[in-house]
Amino acid sequence: MGMTIIQKIIAKASGNEEVAVGDKLWCAIDLAAMRDFGGPNVVLDYREMFGDQPVKDPEKVAITFDLHLPARDTQVANNQKLLRDFADQTGVPLFDVETGVGQHTLLENGMVRPYDVIVGTDSHMNLLGAVGSFATGVGTTDLVAAMATGKLWFKVPETHKFVVNGTFQDQVGAKDLILHVLKDVGTDGLLYKAVEFEGPTIDAMDVAARITTMSMVTEMSGKIGLIESNDKTIEYLTEATGGPIEEWHADPDAPYVEERRYDVADIPPQVAAPHSPDNVVSVEDLLGTHIDQVFVGSCTNGRVEDLRAAAAILEGEQVDPGMRLIITPATQNVAKEAVREGLYNIFIEAGAIVTNPSCALCTIGHPGVLAEGDVTMSTSNRNFPGKIGKGGEIYLCSPATAAASALYGQITDPREV
Amino acid sequence: MTVFKGRAWKFDDNIDTDQIYPGKYLPLTDKEEMGKVAMSGVEGFEDFSQRVSKGDILLAGGNFGCGSSREHAVVAIQYAGVSVVIAKSFARIFYRNAVNLGYPILESEAVDHIGQNDELEVDADAGLIRDLTTGEEFPCTTLSGLELEISKAGGLIPYLNKELEKG
Repeated sequence: MGMTIIQKIIAKASGNEEVAVGDKLWCAIDLAAMRDFGGPNVVLDYREMFGDQPVKDPEKVAITFDLHLPARDTQVANNQKLLRDFADQTGVPLFDVETGVGQHTLLENGMVRPYDVIVGTDSHMNLLGAVGSFATGVGTTDLVAAMATGKLWFKVPETHKFVVNGTFQDQVGAKDLILHVLKDVGTDGLLYKAVEFEGPTIDAMDVAARITTMSMVTEMSGKIGLIESNDKTIEYLTEATGGPIEEWHADPDAPYVEERRYDVADIPPQVAAPHSPDNVVSVEDLLGTHIDQVFVGSCTNGRVEDLRAAAAILEGEQVDPGMRLIITPATQNVAKEAVREGLYNIFIEAGAIVTNPSCALCTIGHPGVLAEGDVTMSTSNRNFPGKIGKGGEIYLCSPATAAASALYGQITDPREV
Repeated sequence: MTVFKGRAWKFDDNIDTDQIYPGKYLPLTDKEEMGKVAMSGVEGFEDFSQRVSKGDILLAGGNFGCGSSREHAVVAIQYAGVSVVIAKSFARIFYRNAVNLGYPILESEAVDHIGQNDELEVDADAGLIRDLTTGEEFPCTTLSGLELEISKAGGLIPYLNKELEKG
């Protein structure tokens, strides 16, 4: 029996020739990442359980700060100090408050390779499947165990195959595709399962679009999302890691449990209405809905390609009076590139607030918490009740739809702007 | 034999981690403090931790604990005094976190047939839920294989320590 790419990764990591769906195996962890949220709990638990025992392999652990930055209060500041002290003591690399969203920072710093097994205290670790990594979110205890032993247990998941064909309409892209798929699959459609995306549309995607697509696998309850490497990802990773980058493919008789096919040619801009990411409709069904705030950023849509899409619509325009438009680059590197290209000028002239690189609004970070009854358009990935403040309503969309809606203060079709 | 006895607290489908443990409390690291805000993001349950009695049982629909990876969600429920969570299904990371903490979670469709506040007796080893209020009995899943071994050891770290001692 052949194997999927995901099975091949688990086989390598567990030291087996072959693995089958349902096998529970101890896998070597290539990278275990913690953040300023979750991280302090990891460190306290590690010290309680293992005392001064050195971390097994500090090069395979990372600390990223992306949530509450720079520190907003004493508790947060103390948590960050705790992590800095731990990094000093153990030799674990730490990316401090200026760097930005964790997964993106790890990717930019060459710590992520295809076919690596990567865990982190972030449910959206899945997005690293964009470059072919086996990456998934875990809790505090798994991180503690990974630091102490270098291994974690995984059950080999059933794997679905989603094949995507067609060329996007103008102003339609990866976020619209993945919202369309999410509507079809549902928020628990991939519970305990994995998915590999392929097809001409996926082949044509750059790293940013692949990140957007993989980040929303989390919203389908997927354990792993993964895309085979293409020339663009290999070029990106070769530069980031120093290369060389291997290419793996699924076997022709790999055991996928199900194959679904999508065609993007007819997909209009998609919007997920409150309060579930699979509550997806065409933007045409929501035109005119009043919006108080718009957010462009997050681990899902915070790359420079996403900022360019927003800037193309905002250039030379002004946001609606009373509109709060918040734009957050994913990382410091994204911010530098956006400055070089003049995107910051476009945003500020349009009346936007451009924040430091971070997770910004997600997880009620800061800034931009909603008042009760406030309505926001967000390029993020979740619109659960209370996600950006109790009583607020969240619509999820692409950067283009977000920017167009900011101009008019209401949900707007970016193809009509 | 692991038997839990307590009052049922029922919740809907898709209760996410921001409802179980709102994001604004993420900086907390004291587990007792975390227990005080358990379920406070669910409308009408803002004061859950004051109303719940030690040993009470939390019932939920499908995909309980979806959303963020925060282990705080399991810890908060545990420290609020809830003895066991029974849901139609659990989100993957919540399930994994509970196993890794040795905290009992069981899957059952019985959730639809049990009333709010019913007195329950749950035999986690036998996979049996008894509704003492109505006299009805329902099956539930039990852990097996590696998850059972980890849970019986008291969680992932005690399990690993035992394995290390064995060599």
